[in-house]
Amino acid sequence: MIEVAGLRVTFPPDVVAVDGVDLTVQPGEFVVVLGRSGSGKTTLLRSLNRLVEPTAGVIRVAGRTVTGAGPAELRVIRRQIGMIFQQFNLVRRASVLDNVLAGRLGFIPPLPSLLGRFPPSDHALALECLAQVGLAHLAARRADTLSGGEQQRVAIARALAQQPAVILADEPTASLDPALTTEIMDILRRINVERGLTLVVSQHQLETALAYATRVVGVRRGRVSFDGPPAAVTPAAVEAIYEGGVPR
Amino acid sequence: MKRAAFFVGLVVFAWLVWDTSADPARLARGIPWIFDFLRRMMPPDFRVLPSVLAGAVTTVEIALLGTTVAAALALPLGFLSARNVAGRAVFYPARALLNFFRSVDTLVYALVFVAAVGLGPFPGVLAVIAYTTTSLAKLYSEAIEGIERGPVDAITATGATRLQVLRFGVLPQVLPLFLSYVLYRLETNIRAATILGFVGAGGIGFYLQTYLRMIDYPAASTTLLVTVVMVMLVDAASSRLRAKLI
Repeated sequence: MIEVAGLRVTFPPDVVAVDGVDLTVQPGEFVVVLGRSGSGKTTLLRSLNRLVEPTAGVIRVAGRTVTGAGPAELRVIRRQIGMIFQQFNLVRRASVLDNVLAGRLGFIPPLPSLLGRFPPSDHALALECLAQVGLAHLAARRADTLSGGEQQRVAIARALAQQPAVILADEPTASLDPALTTEIMDILRRINVERGLTLVVSQHQLETALAYATRVVGVRRGRVSFDGPPAAVTPAAVEAIYEGGVPR
Repeated sequence: MKRAAFFVGLVVFAWLVWDTSADPARLARGIPWIFDFLRRMMPPDFRVLPSVLAGAVTTVEIALLGTTVAAALALPLGFLSARNVAGRAVFYPARALLNFFRSVDTLVYALVFVAAVGLGPFPGVLAVIAYTTTSLAKLYSEAIEGIERGPVDAITATGATRLQVLRFGVLPQVLPLFLSYVLYRLETNIRAATILGFVGAGGIGFYLQTYLRMIDYPAASTTLLVTVVMVMLVDAASSRLRAKLI
């Protein structure tokens, strides 16, 4: 589903964020990318849909080559990749439903969409996605009136509205308390199991990673330092991932 | 260092006083004449009220039409002169253009347009458009530069086009600010439009200037009263609307 070969990302002047990553993700996997802050997890995820431009390497997602794709091709690729962010990244002043409808932008003709009109079928789909995260009753509310956990569920609904092949979640629970962390991760697991969607989720919490992942990819200083099932995460592996203490 | 700066400031201030012939004693001697002027304005002559009110309506119309057209024209300009939206090749020329046109006030534009299209409210409208478009574009662009990056990333990640990202990721963040800037400009434009009549560009200023020239102070005072009431009414309405937006 995802193939990454020789990925390097450097930021000017000379910060190497991702330093030669090779990674293949099979359909239906729940991959947790584990590492401390600044290890390169976020840059790795963001380069998969080219929110960050890779410096070198090849990325393929769902059978299409991401690297080197032209603008139109890139949009077709991006709409197959749902993305969830640490800060939820909802449009605060827009309604919950409008935020979810944004997930359809890649599918509708661009010019009419600028008037803010979406086909009835998209409205139905957006409501269905909201129902799946248990928030259909809040569809008309302004996004910034929701709690943090609810906002992240709206963001998940927005990603689902893309009917994507892959969902990337960049530290989806880092801004939430432990109870909400479980709630969000449970929703992600349900998506993974029930829809068979491929998930790549970055995390800095070891326990959360081990509880949900079908596969753990440890990242340290921009390189893959561990790759295996949660059962194989031994103290030595933890050391290799975190180089020292495990952050809380 | 501090002392030197203070000394330089003192010298500059003294020079300014001298060069503008600023003289408090002269002001003191002139104060009785201000009272004389005010006394001659009393009582206001309300027979001119109908024509003055018509002038006031024209002034409001000039400001309203000019501000509305400028608010729309400033939209593309605002986006083109926002650092985080436009490329360098567009941003720098756009900013330079804005600063150039903004350096001239509405009244000066009015002089130019009266010469170009003749007397009346129309050159007034054009003058308001010319100044307000560029000043709003500058305010717009600053609002755009202050947006949150997150929603823009999220909309981009859905596979949206650049225009869709602007429409769904940027515009909802800045639109309330834009509207509040437009209302603020409307308030200032009402004030600017009151004096446009002085140079023949229509509105209540024409009456004020005419009555002053004819030394008809009671009529001029009616005009001033109407101006004050008009400005206060528009300010009140506009600031109410703005409070609702934020």
